[in-house]
Amino acid sequence: MGHYKLFLSLLLFLCLLIGSCSPHQPSSYKKSKALLDTFVTITVTADSQDTADIAIENSFDVIERFGNLVNFFSDESELSAINRNAGIRAVRVSPETLDVMEKALFVSEKSGGAFDPTIGPEIKLWDFLNKTKPSDAEIKKNLPLVNYKNIIIDRGKSTVFLKKKNMLLDLGGIAKGYAADLAVQALKQKGISAGLVAVAGDIKAFGLKPDKKPWVVGIKNPRQKSNDDELIARIQLSGKAISTSGDYERYFIMDGRRFHHLLTPQTGYPASACRSVSVISDEGAIADGFSTALFILGPEKGLELAKKMGMDAMIINDKGAIHTTPGLEGKLTIERNH
Amino acid sequence: MKETIKNTTMADRLLFLFLILASIAGIFISRDALSQGSDVSIEIDGKPAYTLPLYTDRLLSIDGPYGPILIEIQGKRVRVKESHCPNQLCVREGWISKGVIVCLPNKLVIIVGSGKKDRQRGIDAITG
Amino acid sequence: MQLQDKRRIAILSAYALALHGFESLLPAPIPWLKLGLANIITLVALILYGFRTALVVTLIRVVLASIFIGAFLGPAFILSAGGGIASVAAMGLTIKLFKNLFGAVGISLIGALFHNMAQLSLAYFLFIHRLEAVLIISPFILLIGSLTGIVNGIISGILIKNLLKKDAEKIQNTI
Repeated sequence: MGHYKLFLSLLLFLCLLIGSCSPHQPSSYKKSKALLDTFVTITVTADSQDTADIAIENSFDVIERFGNLVNFFSDESELSAINRNAGIRAVRVSPETLDVMEKALFVSEKSGGAFDPTIGPEIKLWDFLNKTKPSDAEIKKNLPLVNYKNIIIDRGKSTVFLKKKNMLLDLGGIAKGYAADLAVQALKQKGISAGLVAVAGDIKAFGLKPDKKPWVVGIKNPRQKSNDDELIARIQLSGKAISTSGDYERYFIMDGRRFHHLLTPQTGYPASACRSVSVISDEGAIADGFSTALFILGPEKGLELAKKMGMDAMIINDKGAIHTTPGLEGKLTIERNH
Repeated sequence: MKETIKNTTMADRLLFLFLILASIAGIFISRDALSQGSDVSIEIDGKPAYTLPLYTDRLLSIDGPYGPILIEIQGKRVRVKESHCPNQLCVREGWISKGVIVCLPNKLVIIVGSGKKDRQRGIDAITG
Repeated sequence: MQLQDKRRIAILSAYALALHGFESLLPAPIPWLKLGLANIITLVALILYGFRTALVVTLIRVVLASIFIGAFLGPAFILSAGGGIASVAAMGLTIKLFKNLFGAVGISLIGALFHNMAQLSLAYFLFIHRLEAVLIISPFILLIGSLTGIVNGIISGILIKNLLKKDAEKIQNTI
């Protein structure tokens, strides 16, 4: 009789052992989709595939709708309407567009114009794919069109107006971070308690992974030695967003000089004091905007601004040296081989 | 033989069966988790020290507490060629083309794994 | 502690040390294959003379062996001591909790299991810090540990039987 009892209890133990491995507990679900001219990946912690699917697809829709509003290349977008009517009239826009515009102006003001969404006329001159550098005269000619102070927002009427004709809004430095904010908000509305939204390199995470650990985000090495994504550091993230601006995303090298897409609004030329800047903030839009701003400002002024704003940042300067704010201690791991 | 079996209790036999099955299952599970590799990562004292491609032959000398440790990569395999640690387990492990060589006295771990997967293991997203 | 106890501990420790030393001289055909022959003495001590004797014998064996080999207080010593203590404790507890459920083989298996689990976790926390590496070698070590554990258990069982028989004969002779 004793043998049977023993046998049964052993069997029970085995079942428990196997049971603890089977996916009844919350686990991770991940999906990717091409949106906003880039690749969006959403990971959520959920009890079932169905719950995860519904929430993720809903967030994809939210990002797609927002993308249609601020698409620089589509004539139908609200952004194009604002640009077309520069110097002519104020354009009525939807709440999301108004909101992202206000966030952009906030970053512009706080950074003293290092970030400027009216950089469009200068960006337009460069062709990074065909390695075309505009002439000094062309760059100089368009500089008066670049000034965020010439954007007039009327919150009451929900309108945006560009004061000067030929001004061009380019929300490329903030739209992806804002899209991550929208997607996270939509996930939470669907009852998701933990997840990570990555709109290309603009990432926002909330809650904890199924193993009760914070999400881990790798930061790309700005000077890759091989083809696969080499990391320079990794950081733990929960309830925060991270964005990175680097001189390696869109660039060409001419006469030994690197020309990239992060232009100083005051000169129209690429800023050269940094290789890459990552900013951690509560909001994706803010992290996205400030990563550009800090890049333009350079390591010293950039770190100063980050501290003043209460944000964390990691800056890799033009020599490859890594600067960080004190708040990153314990959360950031620098990869050993760098 | 018959007598030795007779001398064991039912609990003994069940325990033995359970342990054998559990560890064999464990071997398969852990093998599944490890994919065919192309990178050699060497960790000393729990920290990553080197990552080397498996397809480049080379001889590497690392300073350990018992003197230099010679690690050899050749023909897509890796081994500890020479070590002055007392038990020599790492040297006797011989060539591996995937998996792990551990040398406790030297606090050395050599891991052969798919480089990309390995380095990004535990990474949920990449920024930049 | 009585004189008889002390003598018993001394003799058992000497046996254990001899086996421990003998084993370290043997070439290992498979890496990680450790016979754990000294565990035979621990098990005999535990079943015949109780937990305290077994624990003391183990401690003496671990400390002296590491001093002789020259690894005292080094990583190998910490692993050896941790494994030894965990295995004696687990075996002692098994006997206390499940009086006659397990025979010498079962107790030996439990000893081997806890010996290896203690060593693996110590190795993880103190030296390797790489869960992946530990998890990959764990099942191999546990499998080999179970096999050597059963061999040691059988040898212990035979030893204990013979020792008890001798004792009985002695008693009969004195009568």
